[in-house]
Amino acid sequence: MIDLHPLKLELVERIGWLIRLRWVAAAGTLAGIAIARLVEPALPVLPLVLVTGAIVLYNALFLLYARYLWRRRGTGLRRRRSPIFAAVQIVCDLLALTALLHFSGGIENPFGVFLLFHVIIASILLPRLASFGVALLASVLYAGLAFSELAGWLSHVHLPQLADPWRYTNPIYVTAHVTAVALTLWLAAAMASSVAERLRRRTQELLQANQVCEINRSELAEMNERLRQLDAARTQFIVMVTHELRAPMGAIISALNLVLGGYAPPEKQREVLERAQARAYELLDLIRDLLELVRARRIEGPAQGVPVRAEKVLENVLGLLRVEAESKGLSVEVHIAPDLPPVLAAEDSLRSIWTNLISNAIKYNRPGGRVTITLNRDDDHVVGSVEDTGIGIAREDMPRLFEEFFRSEQAKAMVQRGTGVGLAIVKRTVEGYGGRVWVESELGKGSKFSFALPRAPEEHTTLSPDKTLEPSQA
Amino acid sequence: MASKGKVLVIDDDPDFCEFMRIGLEADGFEVLTAASGKLGLELMRREKPNLVFLDVVMAHPTEGVDVTAAIKEDPELWDIPVIMLTSIMDTEYIGHFPTDRPLPVDQFLTKPVPMAEVLRIANETVGAQS
Repeated sequence: MIDLHPLKLELVERIGWLIRLRWVAAAGTLAGIAIARLVEPALPVLPLVLVTGAIVLYNALFLLYARYLWRRRGTGLRRRRSPIFAAVQIVCDLLALTALLHFSGGIENPFGVFLLFHVIIASILLPRLASFGVALLASVLYAGLAFSELAGWLSHVHLPQLADPWRYTNPIYVTAHVTAVALTLWLAAAMASSVAERLRRRTQELLQANQVCEINRSELAEMNERLRQLDAARTQFIVMVTHELRAPMGAIISALNLVLGGYAPPEKQREVLERAQARAYELLDLIRDLLELVRARRIEGPAQGVPVRAEKVLENVLGLLRVEAESKGLSVEVHIAPDLPPVLAAEDSLRSIWTNLISNAIKYNRPGGRVTITLNRDDDHVVGSVEDTGIGIAREDMPRLFEEFFRSEQAKAMVQRGTGVGLAIVKRTVEGYGGRVWVESELGKGSKFSFALPRAPEEHTTLSPDKTLEPSQA
Repeated sequence: MASKGKVLVIDDDPDFCEFMRIGLEADGFEVLTAASGKLGLELMRREKPNLVFLDVVMAHPTEGVDVTAAIKEDPELWDIPVIMLTSIMDTEYIGHFPTDRPLPVDQFLTKPVPMAEVLRIANETVGAQS
């Protein structure tokens, strides 16, 4: 834990402050002893100086320990030990002050009120209960000192210049004095610690609020970045779409201009218009594919699907494409595993997946080649694949294969017209329903495109299978 | 009728090449077409056309620009006027045009170009050479 909690950090700072304050206190004590000795010759200087020496000594030890903790910062040691360290210092100070009071008149010495400082310091630095503990200890020490001297268990240093001797010999005065001091200490502890506690709580709340703000800010920045990327991708897509739309449109306009302007000789006009018509159909194909792509992009999970039987849709699509395959002299093989569960998709989507994959397998096949279609299942998916014996795909084209508008050089060389959107539609559709697509291919030998779609849950499969089959048979 | 001159069209869209051929041939030009920058340069060196129409964006977005760079390095091709054909959509590739050196391009036209304009330029340019 590298960064210390700010409240603990404050405690650590205060400990340094306490140690510095103690040097001042020790110097002040020595000065005080010197001045008091002038006023009161009865004051025993030696024991007082010795106690002050003890304060200096333990403060030096505290300083060394504080430095040791500082060096070990980041290990958590400082964090765990700081409150105990502060408490030990305060207890030492209380003992030292009691000793100083004992050698300088005990209850007669007005500097007994200095006990108050220690209680206040404890209230600021330590938890509430600990500050009451310090107040209790201070009262017990003070009362113990006063009553011990009263009872004669401890020798009393009488200060004739300062107070009448009856003060420390009158049990009623000693009791009243000690009670007043103890009450003052307890009330001071209660008030100071309550203020300190409230401050600590406020600081805590402020820190938490700051943290929440910080989190919100980073979340917002992240979201912003995601939106920006989405927007950039969409703009790029629009640029590509307009580019693709413009090429056939430009060709059609050139053709019309050629004929209408009378620049084409009569025998060429039909050819020009036929070319324009082909480009117009290309444009139409492109628009249809783009719409399908937009639909595929909108699919957001299997929940949007209904149970559909992939083999029924396949049958349907094959009925339409078989003629095209046969006209190229291709043989079509179909292997369908028995007892296939339905998949979760829309029937239109499934039709578009099969149509795109199978018409690619026909288009990019060699004459007399083969198209093999298989439909299997694993635990959670229905897996379909379409294999051809055609041009195949170069290794370097694999990563871009499913990109919108991408067409490989081999594909362009073989079939001039193509929107380059079919595989993108397949990928978007399958992934939209929570499935995946993949391809295995060897350049010049053929390709095998596969897709896995999540199967419908059991209750769907038994609910009303006839109803789900109806549209595909229509 | 004797040919007015040789015009080379470099464009990867075969329909566009064909339309240019029909229009220009009807006006008396001999037309050569090339579907790529590489083929176009070959034809320029071999046939020395009187005029070249060059598409900017072919298989590669800067294929047309690359052709002009090759022309600059080949002094034999310096005399051949080049008309560059661009689409408005190609503005995203504008950054690829070198700005630190002049392109050996005589004119820029935006596709689709009316045949009247193509013929006017062809007649003016080729006519000025004879």
